[in-house]
Amino acid sequence: MKKLIVFLLIYVLVFGSSVYLSQLSHSRPVVEDAGRLLPAAVKRIEPADGKESLKKIVTKAKETNDKLTIAGMQHSQGGHTYYPDAVMIDMKPYNKIIAFDPNKKKITVQSGATWDDIQRHVNPYGLAVKVMQSQNIFTIGGSLSVNVHGRDIRNDSLIDTVESFRLLTPDGEIINVSRQENEDLFPYVIGGYGLFGVILDVTLHLTDDELYKKKTSTMDYNKYSAYFEKEVKENPDVKMHLARISVAPETFLREMYVTDYVHADNQQDLLKYNTLKEDSFVAIPKFFLGLSRYSDWGKNIFWDVQKKYMERDKGAFETRNNVMRSDTDFMDYESGGRTEVLQEYFVPVDEFSSYIDGLRDMLEKEDDFNLLNITIRYVEKSDSDQAVLSYAKEDMFALVLLINQGRSELEIKKNAAVVQNMIDVTLEHNGSYYLPYFPYPTKEQLKEAYPLVNTFFEKKEAYDPNKRFTNYFYEEYGR
Amino acid sequence: MSYQQFVFSQSIIFMASSMIFPFYILLLRNVGDSYSQFGWAYGLFTLTAAVTYPLIGKVSDQIGDWSLLLFYSWSMAIILLFFPLVMEVWQVYILQVIMGILGAVQKNTEKTALARNVEKKAAGAEIGRYHFWTSVGAAASIILTGYLVDFLTIHIIFYIASLMYMWSGIILWKKKKSINKEK
Repeated sequence: MKKLIVFLLIYVLVFGSSVYLSQLSHSRPVVEDAGRLLPAAVKRIEPADGKESLKKIVTKAKETNDKLTIAGMQHSQGGHTYYPDAVMIDMKPYNKIIAFDPNKKKITVQSGATWDDIQRHVNPYGLAVKVMQSQNIFTIGGSLSVNVHGRDIRNDSLIDTVESFRLLTPDGEIINVSRQENEDLFPYVIGGYGLFGVILDVTLHLTDDELYKKKTSTMDYNKYSAYFEKEVKENPDVKMHLARISVAPETFLREMYVTDYVHADNQQDLLKYNTLKEDSFVAIPKFFLGLSRYSDWGKNIFWDVQKKYMERDKGAFETRNNVMRSDTDFMDYESGGRTEVLQEYFVPVDEFSSYIDGLRDMLEKEDDFNLLNITIRYVEKSDSDQAVLSYAKEDMFALVLLINQGRSELEIKKNAAVVQNMIDVTLEHNGSYYLPYFPYPTKEQLKEAYPLVNTFFEKKEAYDPNKRFTNYFYEEYGR
Repeated sequence: MSYQQFVFSQSIIFMASSMIFPFYILLLRNVGDSYSQFGWAYGLFTLTAAVTYPLIGKVSDQIGDWSLLLFYSWSMAIILLFFPLVMEVWQVYILQVIMGILGAVQKNTEKTALARNVEKKAAGAEIGRYHFWTSVGAAASIILTGYLVDFLTIHIIFYIASLMYMWSGIILWKKKKSINKEK
């Protein structure tokens, strides 16, 4: 009987500790971003209910010496929105439109609002966003923090369209930041990856919604730079531009097709086309993308289908707002063991052909590297107020690569080698790479691509000496 | 020897183990990265079982089936309490090795106990009945567990299963005492 009692006592003890420990690990929610490669247990998630509650979150963190991170849609893929044991502020509920002046073409929104929220609000007034991504699912605060660019070729990056914003500082104060007020912070917070405080509300310049006619053509990659300079840049009627280069083995990094959005002659027909498009039926593109994930044969088919679809679309009309709300659903990918990540490389327009040759030489040796898609956009050099971490050092083509990869440590390591090689090739051609992605690049590569990165981190430390705001990007590269 | 009590305690064990095994894969999915890791987790389980079978057979001849079954039940009760704490794949591997040993103890001993206790003439019918009752228990618990995991968390099933092993151990322990007294 004694033995039984002793055993029961031990059992109760182990049972109790197990429940306690598992509760403890569960009270720390595990979060991850769209890259799905960096799951981390955060201290807690605080929803942004309003200005006052945000202020309280910051002052409380000061008292308890907690770290803070800021999250929107979490489409950055390198843990820019969270960190282990830090409090993650979820900005999504903070999404109201505060002011809108159609005559002055200006809108002020809370930073958790998405581009979709803005489009729905301004479309009836015949207005549109100047610069945003090709998709509209992202929050304004997140887009500002990574200083996005998109299909528009006549404005530079997002920073050029921002009039001002309010910032909740690491001290819990709220300040105005614009080119006139606290102007030293302006180029640091935009493209600042959430390291200088919480962007509260933002005033953006809008432009007229316009009707565009799609002009499409297929060409060899070494004709592209000349085509772009002559037919796109020098033709003021072309307002937006997007290109694709083949990743299919048969035409690998040789064949391209381009879409120019040309200011249409029949602007009076805008009303016929300006109903905002909603998510369409995505099963077919999803199926072909799925095929291309698994085989070279699938990649060839996917490329052919894309090309045919593009040719069919020739001459179609689309409004500016609709060009900037393309589908993302077909890219949704569910797999326990694998994920899809992005890389983005910038390369000067005149370096394009030699860069592609270099990239092809390098990638043809990488049999295991599963590259699914490359889109190409153009971003003009920012003249006036460049973000400190600016990628647009000159007029650049931006190549966005979609890569399918495993989530295991081994796969991450294998991919790191390929990505680092690609970045080396990019840097050799005076290029740069985009920062919101997985921390594959080395510190040296960061320094070469962003010569001002030390200035950036010094300013961060001067402005937030307690490092209240942090994230993986900062912890990985900033120390 | 009360055969019913043996069957009853084995039914509880069966219910508990069938609670865990189909759903255990969900936990692995949360922790693991790839199919090869699933392969390793189950491979290790089976391999350690294979290696330990001969030894367990000898031990059961020496110290008796009841002691081994009791050891099995209570060890399972304890080991299951570690499952909700698993965060890394290597922890799953270690648990799988221990589970492999314990699984071998259970399988071997269940059979030797039956072999030693069932009347040879009616062995077919007896073992058939034995499997009927234990499987009914297992089926019921698989279905109920599905709902449990849906409504609660996957972790709760490990605690419930642990308590069931504990209970079956107590039944066996009482039984063992009565056997000792008879002797």
